[in-house]
Amino acid sequence: MIKKILALSFIFICFFISCSGDGDSESSQSSATVWEQKSQMLENWADNFILPNYESLLDNLFSLEESISVFNNNPNQQHLDNVRYGWLEAYKSWQYVEMFNIGPAEQTFYHLKMNVFPTSVVNIEQLVASGDYSPLDNSPYNSAQGFPALDYLLYGLSENDSEIISTYTINVNYRNYLAEIIQRMISNTSYVLDQWSNYRTNFISSTENTATSSANKMTNDFIYYYEKGFRANKFGIPVGVFSAGNVFPEKVEAYYSQNVSRTLALEAMNAIDLFFNGNGSYSLKQFIDNFATDEMSNLSSEINDQFDLARTSIEGLDQNFVNQLNTDFLQMGITYDVIQAGTVLLKTDMLSVLQIATDYVDADGD
Amino acid sequence: MISNINIYLKKSTESSKLAVFRICFGLLMLYSMVRFWSKNWIHTIYVEPKFHFKYYGFEWIQSLGSFTYALFIICIICSILITLGLWYRLSIIVFFLSFTYIELIEKTTYLNHYYFVSLLSFVLIFLPASSCFSIDSILKKKQYSQVPKWTTDSIKLLMIIVYFYAGLAKINSDWLLEALPLKIWMPSKYDIPLIGETFLQYEWVHYLMSWGGMLYDLTIPFLLLNKRTRMIGFFLVLFFHLFTAILFPIGMFPYIMILSALVFFDGQTHDKIIKLLKRPISVFMKKSKAVIIEKLSTFEYKRPKLILITLAIFFLVQIVVPFRYVLYPSELFWSEEGYRFSWRVMLVEKIGYTTFKIKNKDTGVIFEAPCTNMLTKVQTKQMSFQADMILEFAHYLGDYYKKQGLHNIAVFANSYVTLNGRPKEQFIDPSIDLLSIEESFKHKVWIIPYKYDIKGF
Repeated sequence: MIKKILALSFIFICFFISCSGDGDSESSQSSATVWEQKSQMLENWADNFILPNYESLLDNLFSLEESISVFNNNPNQQHLDNVRYGWLEAYKSWQYVEMFNIGPAEQTFYHLKMNVFPTSVVNIEQLVASGDYSPLDNSPYNSAQGFPALDYLLYGLSENDSEIISTYTINVNYRNYLAEIIQRMISNTSYVLDQWSNYRTNFISSTENTATSSANKMTNDFIYYYEKGFRANKFGIPVGVFSAGNVFPEKVEAYYSQNVSRTLALEAMNAIDLFFNGNGSYSLKQFIDNFATDEMSNLSSEINDQFDLARTSIEGLDQNFVNQLNTDFLQMGITYDVIQAGTVLLKTDMLSVLQIATDYVDADGD
Repeated sequence: MISNINIYLKKSTESSKLAVFRICFGLLMLYSMVRFWSKNWIHTIYVEPKFHFKYYGFEWIQSLGSFTYALFIICIICSILITLGLWYRLSIIVFFLSFTYIELIEKTTYLNHYYFVSLLSFVLIFLPASSCFSIDSILKKKQYSQVPKWTTDSIKLLMIIVYFYAGLAKINSDWLLEALPLKIWMPSKYDIPLIGETFLQYEWVHYLMSWGGMLYDLTIPFLLLNKRTRMIGFFLVLFFHLFTAILFPIGMFPYIMILSALVFFDGQTHDKIIKLLKRPISVFMKKSKAVIIEKLSTFEYKRPKLILITLAIFFLVQIVVPFRYVLYPSELFWSEEGYRFSWRVMLVEKIGYTTFKIKNKDTGVIFEAPCTNMLTKVQTKQMSFQADMILEFAHYLGDYYKKQGLHNIAVFANSYVTLNGRPKEQFIDPSIDLLSIEESFKHKVWIIPYKYDIKGF
């Protein structure tokens, strides 16, 4: 009896496989197989986004380090301006990296050491005074380093530049701390980039559809970044979306320099747009276009339209988000809502089309 | 009519059927429990969450925290005892109670096959499944070769209900006319060897699977009942459930259904299975003293009427409950009013995204509740598209903020859901203060009606 069943099953399975070999049957997909499409996408992400973006960030950090060492040797207005310029350039390139919290970056908690704001002035001052920087390895001191710490050190020590310069001239501790922070940013970034040269192979070969495969993790990271790093950190939290009606100008990105918060947000918007559309190569957009049901065939353009609306809305804000919040925070609330409409699209329609296992939800279904 | 019933109730069948069923059930439950534990789900589902979603009417069920492990240990011990047929009646009662208690702790993990296990263990309480090939029969020095036929038939009936209703539910426009949601799911299974890249990518395959699945569910009970088609039926059971086991993360369900289907086979087959099982045991038994067991013919209940009435009511409820959805005017797949406990499996692909706004009614200030840390990912995922859970969580948020000193508040939900690949629609009326609404069996008017119409059962 058992033998009969086994034989029958075998015949049945053979039948199914032979059917599946039929070339003439209508296929809803493009000629490339799903595997091929996924691996094209992963290669595009690794080689045209992740690696070059980390490299350009690292280059900018090296230039910044140089300006800082010049400034530390001879603190003056021109050198301070150069440091500030280098900081902004590096900060802009950071916007193209923040969403890639995957692999070596995730393992080393790299992101938490680069851009947690608002920065902790108390912690910074404590470390500056003590000269012992080992606490920076611990998570409570995440907000005492990275770009937000530099923001404070370059703009926040005093209202006017000459006092800032004299602080550095007089107090070697500030010079040391400044050098320490850029050093750590460089070594942390180099470490991640170095590891990526090995990790890349794993990354692009993990093309299956599981919660831990690269495309799924990266898509989740992308959505998470849009929702948290972009939507909440840059807009929602400062405008008080999550707190009972209080506005928090001091929680905007680059609070001390004040004039660049919009610039950084627009760079981030651009990074999101580029990543989604793939910059001419295989991306989430192509994947959506190939797999969307008829009802959802407009989804990728709908998402792009929403990105455009968000961009336009951000452009309409004051270049200094602190001013915006102090004069007309409701306008920023509107921008938040436009961005939020994008979150809804990404987290419902896009996930429905992509059919990827979201996050690490590990449970049986039925 | 009545005499027919009486004749039927006097019919008997081989007790080996129940013994084999008991052993399979015990072993499967043992494995399920150990598997659940080994995946650390006891922690992530029952211990870790700060808040548990409760079934309506069962809000009094307390989560036991770390003591949930004890509940699982009890279930494991009971499974072993059930397998051995030792203190059977007590162990199946305790198993039913502890297993059901576990399921009632957290609603977001509702699965039809857990519900099936609860129901099955309830039915098993009333069946003499340890009347042969059990330690009980050795201890009592009594074994019965026959049991009333209605005992095995009640297991069959439960399975027939499950299959038939599952099939009925598949008769809807999405499943049959659009091959949804299989059309969405199958292309994403490209990583399954051999068939993933080829077979599963074709649209005609999605239709074949949809129609095949519906026909399978509707006909399989009859194929198994009829002696002449039983072999082909069981072969289909094997094929269907193993195939779905490969395709979907459905845990133990396929194996439970496959082994349960054995109950449809005749007594000879079961006698053979028991002979097979006896072989390794007899090697061990030779060393001990042979026990003389009195061999009796038919097991007789002390109070058969009470048990028959209990089971009759039970099955009546089972037959009626899946149809309760007709009492609600809303689109069933969208609102899920009357969706659970009805053997609706694999019918919808849903993704939801729900955020909550808190309004301070004294000041008019509105803010979004940052609730990501309050729920686990599994809970968030499930809550986001199920209205009763959204309501329950809204009340939890209300209590939370009241404790924070905000007494006069309203809670609103911004909820969007995609259903079977259609673009997202707003799910909950965002202007309704959910704190003003209490859970009930009444139609939820605060669910925005779905703009699409899905026809069928």
